[in-house]
Amino acid sequence: MPRPLQLRRAVLSLLTLGATGVLAHYYPRLAACFPHIVYLSGWLLLALCLGLTAYNLRKKLPFLPLLSSRVWLQFHAYAGLFAGVLFIFHLRFSIPGGAFNLVLAALFLAVTLSGIGGWWLSRVIPRRLTSAGGEVPFERIPVIRRDIRLQAEKITLAAIPEAKSTTLADFYVRELAPAFAARPSFFRHLLGSRAALNDRLAALSEAGRYLAPAEQTRAEQIADLLRARHALDFHHANQLLLKSWLFVHLPLTYALLVFTAVHVLLVHAYSGGAR
Amino acid sequence: MSTVASLDRPRRWDAPFDPEFPAADIERLLAIAPFRAMNPESFPRSATLPDILRNDTAIRTFQADELIVREGDYGTSAFLILKGRARVVLSPGLPPSAVGRKERGKKSLLRSLAQLWSNPREDEVIARRRQEAEPSRSVFLQDVPRVLGEHKTAAMHAGDFFGEIAALSRMPRTATIFAEEQGTQLLEIRWQGLRDLLKYDPALRAHVDTIYRQRALASYLQEIPFLRHLEPEARAAVEAATQFETYGDYDWSGEYKKLVQAGAAAVAKETTIAAEGDYPNGIVMVRSGFARLTQRHGAGHRTLNYLGAGRVYGFDEIVHNWKNPGAAIALQHSLRVIGHTHVLTIPAAVIERHVLPGLPANQLPPPIIIPGESSNARTPPPQAKSRPTEAATDSALMEFLTQNRLFNGTESMVIDLDRCTRCDDCVRACASTHGGNPRFLRHGPIHDHLMVAQACMHCADPICMIGCPTGAIHRDSFGGEVVINADTCIGCTACANNCPYGSIRMVETRDEDGEPLVAKDQKPLLKATKCDLCLDQIGGPACVRACPHDALDRLDLNTLDPLTAWLNRR
Repeated sequence: MPRPLQLRRAVLSLLTLGATGVLAHYYPRLAACFPHIVYLSGWLLLALCLGLTAYNLRKKLPFLPLLSSRVWLQFHAYAGLFAGVLFIFHLRFSIPGGAFNLVLAALFLAVTLSGIGGWWLSRVIPRRLTSAGGEVPFERIPVIRRDIRLQAEKITLAAIPEAKSTTLADFYVRELAPAFAARPSFFRHLLGSRAALNDRLAALSEAGRYLAPAEQTRAEQIADLLRARHALDFHHANQLLLKSWLFVHLPLTYALLVFTAVHVLLVHAYSGGAR
Repeated sequence: MSTVASLDRPRRWDAPFDPEFPAADIERLLAIAPFRAMNPESFPRSATLPDILRNDTAIRTFQADELIVREGDYGTSAFLILKGRARVVLSPGLPPSAVGRKERGKKSLLRSLAQLWSNPREDEVIARRRQEAEPSRSVFLQDVPRVLGEHKTAAMHAGDFFGEIAALSRMPRTATIFAEEQGTQLLEIRWQGLRDLLKYDPALRAHVDTIYRQRALASYLQEIPFLRHLEPEARAAVEAATQFETYGDYDWSGEYKKLVQAGAAAVAKETTIAAEGDYPNGIVMVRSGFARLTQRHGAGHRTLNYLGAGRVYGFDEIVHNWKNPGAAIALQHSLRVIGHTHVLTIPAAVIERHVLPGLPANQLPPPIIIPGESSNARTPPPQAKSRPTEAATDSALMEFLTQNRLFNGTESMVIDLDRCTRCDDCVRACASTHGGNPRFLRHGPIHDHLMVAQACMHCADPICMIGCPTGAIHRDSFGGEVVINADTCIGCTACANNCPYGSIRMVETRDEDGEPLVAKDQKPLLKATKCDLCLDQIGGPACVRACPHDALDRLDLNTLDPLTAWLNRR
């Protein structure tokens, strides 16, 4: 027996495919005998866009029984895809003329692509975060980063009286303190690069030959902190990406709605009674 | 200039059980059993016997056929019949419709929507007013002669105690009881008063313990499938031979925290009820709490399952030995205590003599196959056999659930980290439905891609309730969810300290102007907050409905089936 999610996915996929099929079959025929069908497809597109935007409103009303967010998102994804197909028909498979319409089309494309991109990120990044381990709430990351730095400094300072030497402390100040204090590299961690970590661990290991035994123990603790910091930065970069793609998708959506409203006004104002 | 509101710090008896309890009745109560026999000197000055009676009891008068307690309701008080007669419906129980059980009311659509603008601007604003007591709505049992004819009932008279099982074990009422005589008078004792009475009076403790065990046994044995077919004489023999045992601390939170510190060595520190390799001397039935089923594996013990209320251990081996007297086998697994566990033990000889001879063949367990004898494979553990989905649950997950005592949750918040985008829509939805402050942390123990978040799990054994001096934290009478009455919470932190899962948070309160509320000692006035499962919201838990990626759900972890099904949902 299919599971509820699979069933929903299958039904929505079939509906989207069916609607696309109906559109592909009838739109050219209707367009031949009903030249103003572009108005109909335009209004349908607007209704779809408003329906898709209503998902954000649903999120603001969690206390109302307005179906679960997962159902909304699924509808949002499939309806968004269908809107993309309808948009191509609405454009009559051609690049729109005029700067305004070009911007409007570009906005539509950007919203659709950012939506698809966001969906892809929401499927890929959670698994990466889970595999990396060290789950941490995003808001806590700066605090934990500071704690790691303070802990590293404490360990380094503790090594001085233990070993009666400042070799580790000097190395820390020269090589590691900037790394612990630095802001994380966003793109490097998105790409999953461990090069910086490996370089620092190698440098620490290299310094190990000049360290007293007591310092070597402390150096191992610092190496653990370097790894912890790396894991934290990995979480920061990936969680930041997960959170920030919406800051692309949403403003584009609202810009699209504004341009669409103007587009509707312009079309109806200058249609000359053609509608 | 901001002003800080300074108030009297709330205390235990600020909200007495009956604010209008007549002083003359205290004297009357002190003159009757069991209070007459109590030694007032054994009570501390902070909770004297008259104080307990004045603040934690109420005298209730019932009309004929009026319901006193309903089977299935979660109650937090016990009753002593002072005058008149009551009748308990033993079996079969009355249907919920006959006793007027109704679900808790939810907010209307308009009131739900009004949360958009009516939520206070500041978090945790409380109006320091006591909630008006809801007018009690009496429910009368209809067609009593038919009930008496169709159901087994028993009369209870002045001096009889009842309701103590639900009050003390944090379980639902096991029977419906109604007043039989007009003007039947009862003393209702809320559980924290009963707890103190039992603590300071050994005689009452022994008495209540005895009746508690008797009543628990009678109703419990009915629920065990292979004991249902027994004739009255055989049942009486089984009841007489059944032994009661209680393991672990009633308040096991501290013990658990020590075990957590012990890490992987925790299993070895747990008390063993029955050990693998020992001869099976009897079956063990878990009455309440949980026990861990383990098997030796290398130098350690591997957790195969955890057994909650109603699960049986040792039956398979006894049946095997009864059918194969020449090839007796030992216990195949160990049973270890986790938390506070009541068990009933029926000796093997009694089972062999009174239970097995008349047991229908379809109720006999499948044969145990010992490796190297008739087959190369050993049967799976007895509890897993009847639950095929559990067999699919990996051993590490079992250890995770057991080690962290997560099986206690009936509404645990589980998050699939492979799907969770960490968007915090669940947290925001929770905050929106709870006056601006979320009632959980999206953080908690993790196994593989499963996280059990720090949200109230509405435990089967809610030990957070143990220390509450006012009874503010209680079970909802209909569904049994653990909820906090903000009006009677005095912010003592007992529940938060007792919760082993860190799911209760103390928050500083503010007045309606947003100013912090402080006590006369200038320390902030706190209140306990936790997930209430959105009981008053029309759509149910907002966190679940808010998750866009199907990554979050509320599951009953008392058994593994819901979790296994959820993990395999796609």
